[in-house]
Amino acid sequence: MYQSLAWQLTIVLVLLLLALFAFVVSQSGSREEYGPIKDKSSRIRLIVFALLFALVAPLVGFSLTSLPYSAPPNRQGEPEIIDVTGGQWYWIFSSNETTVGTPVEFHVTSADVNHGFGLYDSSMTLVAQTQSMPEYTNVLYYTFTSPGTYQVLCMEYCGLAHHGMITEFTVNPRTTGGAR
Amino acid sequence: MSIGPMSMSNGAKKLIFSYVAIVAVVVVLMMVFGLLLRLAQGGWLSMSPQFFYQLLTAHGIGMVGIAALAGSAILWYFLSQYVELSTTILATNLVLFLSGVVFILGATFIGGFGGLWTFLYPLPRLSLSIWSDAAAVTYLVGVLIVGVGFLLFFLDVGRAIISRYGSLGRSLGWPQLFGGDQSEAPPPTVVASTMVTIINVAALVAGAAILVMSIINILIPDFTVNPLLAKNMIYLFGHTFVNSTIYMSIIAVYEILPRYTDRPWKSTKPFLAAWTAATVMVLTVYPHHLLLDFVMPQWMLWLGQIISYLSGIPVLLVTMIGTLTIIHKSGIKWDAASSLLVLSVFGWAAGVLPAIIDATIVVNMVMHNTMWVPGHFHFYLLLGMIAMAFGFMFYLGKAERNREDGAFDRLAVWIYAGGGLTFVFAFLMSGAESVPRRWAVHLPEWMPYDRYGAVCAAVVVLASVWFLVRYISSLWSPVEVRAEATQEGN
Repeated sequence: MYQSLAWQLTIVLVLLLLALFAFVVSQSGSREEYGPIKDKSSRIRLIVFALLFALVAPLVGFSLTSLPYSAPPNRQGEPEIIDVTGGQWYWIFSSNETTVGTPVEFHVTSADVNHGFGLYDSSMTLVAQTQSMPEYTNVLYYTFTSPGTYQVLCMEYCGLAHHGMITEFTVNPRTTGGAR
Repeated sequence: MSIGPMSMSNGAKKLIFSYVAIVAVVVVLMMVFGLLLRLAQGGWLSMSPQFFYQLLTAHGIGMVGIAALAGSAILWYFLSQYVELSTTILATNLVLFLSGVVFILGATFIGGFGGLWTFLYPLPRLSLSIWSDAAAVTYLVGVLIVGVGFLLFFLDVGRAIISRYGSLGRSLGWPQLFGGDQSEAPPPTVVASTMVTIINVAALVAGAAILVMSIINILIPDFTVNPLLAKNMIYLFGHTFVNSTIYMSIIAVYEILPRYTDRPWKSTKPFLAAWTAATVMVLTVYPHHLLLDFVMPQWMLWLGQIISYLSGIPVLLVTMIGTLTIIHKSGIKWDAASSLLVLSVFGWAAGVLPAIIDATIVVNMVMHNTMWVPGHFHFYLLLGMIAMAFGFMFYLGKAERNREDGAFDRLAVWIYAGGGLTFVFAFLMSGAESVPRRWAVHLPEWMPYDRYGAVCAAVVVLASVWFLVRYISSLWSPVEVRAEATQEGN
């Protein structure tokens, strides 16, 4: 969802900027007195600043209300803790499967250099990630909503076989009476 | 202000020409490296992963170094009108730069170092014998030598500014901004140079410290560094230094567009406020590189997002609106230099948009280290910073050599702009499709984006080769001497 939102927003904003530059450049052939143009520009600058602040500040504030750094407040059920260690060039999981709906805590660390723990769904869309760091453990909270075979890719350059650091992670469908 | 030769010693002028010639050659070479990388990812060129990562290392450090060299040439050329800079330091920086490059190239292509330009600790030491300790140390020493050159350069800029204005606060226009001083504020070039000096001295000291620690770690493995601290220091250095290349190069816009439009670019209060704010923000925004290091103090990650939004606004918005204002109904003569400079402001402004979006923590969670990241930084570097450098290059030919544009020059600008814009969108598209960055081997379903990117990159390379040829050929034109040249100096 965020990927397509970012893409669409970028296209729209870049096109708007392009149109603005094209308009001003198209008007640059004739020459008029600079003073009134500057005054008008100062007023526009003030309006743009005010508008940007009014639009962006609430958005930034809202986006900070739901951060990945702690367990979601609406998390239901006992979390399943899965220890993950990245190394040159492998992944070790304490368990490589879970069930749809089970809140999972990936405790991610590294045995050597920095790696990136990137969780891809079965359509190869990145759904969550955290850094896999030596001497530290990052906790990634994630609850799978779809069953299937997920892929874990290394997202931080770690040497020669960085691109080969792929492993599978299975998410099983929820069975009646299964874990939530 | 008019378009004409700058009043400075012949030695200094030759040095500036040398800086720019080296920039033009290396930029094109690095672009070719980039093109080869995209061809390899697209499956059109067979390349071993080891060589791919060596080439990626050279491409990254080469582009960062040469962007800084371009920015410092622009800064020195225009700042020398206002303060007395040392030509010896200008030469020393170039000598150290070239010496460092020899170390870096040797480490990369002979020693096989492929730890990328960011040398993320402890990777230089832990390659599983893909490269030797000697290669890693040689690379790090090379970067250190280049960094020492730039540190000397900025210390000299700071010295010269303080000699002329009394303090860095005064050269940032604080008396006019905060003290009610009604006298004219320092010109934009001085304000920008002050800001860049402050941020780069801090960044280079942090960079030198982590480079030295990394070198010791390789030589004495028992000496270790906290990896999170190392990461912070590397990104403080790397982010700030790369950003500074734009803040240096933007001086070309402040100095050249007024000459083309015969309209002054003054340091107004909003301008001064923007640059002061940017001084603080550029130094404190780097945690947006660490948004996925969940163990970081959360307040720093909040800061990373909030300042990413704020830091894009002041200087960029003031400069963008200033650029549009100065060219609006100005009767400006469009040539390669003026076109590239206006393109550069567009490229900077537009490229920052996907960068800011990516700095939103919830978005970063699914876009960090995907191709989205090279998408946004190529956007504001290729179409922003490098376009500023090429614009300056054409301006030098015009002002110092009385060189007028040829028939193909403006067409080449259009080709560069079109090729560049489509090129960066190839990155952004694959980033939106979750393609990870820095992968030597791509899955078949990712390759169409790589191939499209490679074709666009080839177009950019062609236009850039033309710019290079034009600049180098201009060096054989007679030097322009004008009577009013001496009036421009102070």
